[in-house]
Amino acid sequence: MFASKWTARCLGLVFVTMIATAHHSFAIFDTAKTTKLSGTVTAFEWTNPHAYIEIDVAENGSTKHWSVEMGSPSILMQSGWKYKDLKSGDKITVTLNPLRNGQNGGLLIQATLADGRVLGNGPGRGPTAPAAAATPAAK
Amino acid sequence: MFSIKGRSVLLFLMCLGVAYAAVGQAPSTTTPDLNGAWGPYRGGRGADPRFTAPPASPIVLKAQYAKAWEERRAAATAATQRGEPLPTNGALCVPYGFPTMMSVAVYPVEFVQTAKQINVISEAFSEVRRIYLGKPQLPADEVPPGYYGRSVGRWEGDTLVVDTVGIRENVQYQVVPHSDQMRITERIRLVAPNILHDQITIEDPVYLEKPIVYTLAYQRLQNYEMVEFVCDNNREFVDEKGVVRMKVREK
Repeated sequence: MFASKWTARCLGLVFVTMIATAHHSFAIFDTAKTTKLSGTVTAFEWTNPHAYIEIDVAENGSTKHWSVEMGSPSILMQSGWKYKDLKSGDKITVTLNPLRNGQNGGLLIQATLADGRVLGNGPGRGPTAPAAAATPAAK
Repeated sequence: MFSIKGRSVLLFLMCLGVAYAAVGQAPSTTTPDLNGAWGPYRGGRGADPRFTAPPASPIVLKAQYAKAWEERRAAATAATQRGEPLPTNGALCVPYGFPTMMSVAVYPVEFVQTAKQINVISEAFSEVRRIYLGKPQLPADEVPPGYYGRSVGRWEGDTLVVDTVGIRENVQYQVVPHSDQMRITERIRLVAPNILHDQITIEDPVYLEKPIVYTLAYQRLQNYEMVEFVCDNNREFVDEKGVVRMKVREK
């Protein structure tokens, strides 16, 4: 019960609260801009301090590669993610805040998986977790 | 002298004493149980204001250090606003150390409590500190500077009082510089069955005009299993301008 209350409170926080003491400042991303990409997953790295989705995006007859930064596995689990949710070859659509320096990278806001699920990126980023996944602590 | 019923009770109590002796020691009936995982308990909707953390004290450095500290903070803020954040220990996968490790974003901490020792594990970066109970503190200059220093604790009623010295100088709270004379005192107490407060007081006769006092509020996370956190895929790096960047893969 406390776990679910904890999760609910955490999900209610603004992301700024989280980044204030997070692994690094998120100022490298332009949070005023949103980019939407659809492509093919080439890698899903369930790692710390961040997980990453690598995506090939077809654009005007060529392929551009994007690196998408996520929260840590602990934070992603609060948004309903599981480490096997993506594999190479999966189709995916993501919205992200792009890097300010113009490189093909960004910070995930939310992802729409091939099975239709829409998953966020921790407190204040995208949809909250489905009820079953919102309490990773509950057994 | 004793009735049969009274003798039975006495015998039972003696057996209980023998049983406790057999396992080493009797469990305290008054020592609070801090075991388990604790997540941040913040204010806002649904929070009980009786249990949220009180405001922190202002950070007041001695006059000769205050200007440089304020300039460093202003430079860091300006760099962040430009989108060129300056490197921090965290961005480089260097542990936060104590006391910052007690409150990193939304990550929980876990208390592992025995009669002689309490270990506190932060999920972020899997940082561990050890609090030795019933041991005297060493003089600060006998403790090799480290990320967690040396912590000794004692129970004052229902409050665990912890004294820490020996924090290395690059481990800073709010980038406040400190000397090897810094001393951190915690008063850790259950303010409700599932709400824990850790009042942290930082004193440093060299750098601080006044002690820094702040409180962390936690709530118990029933059945939570701490998640592994090994910082082995850090794509943040410091470029030639000294600002933090993210490595982007070519394919």
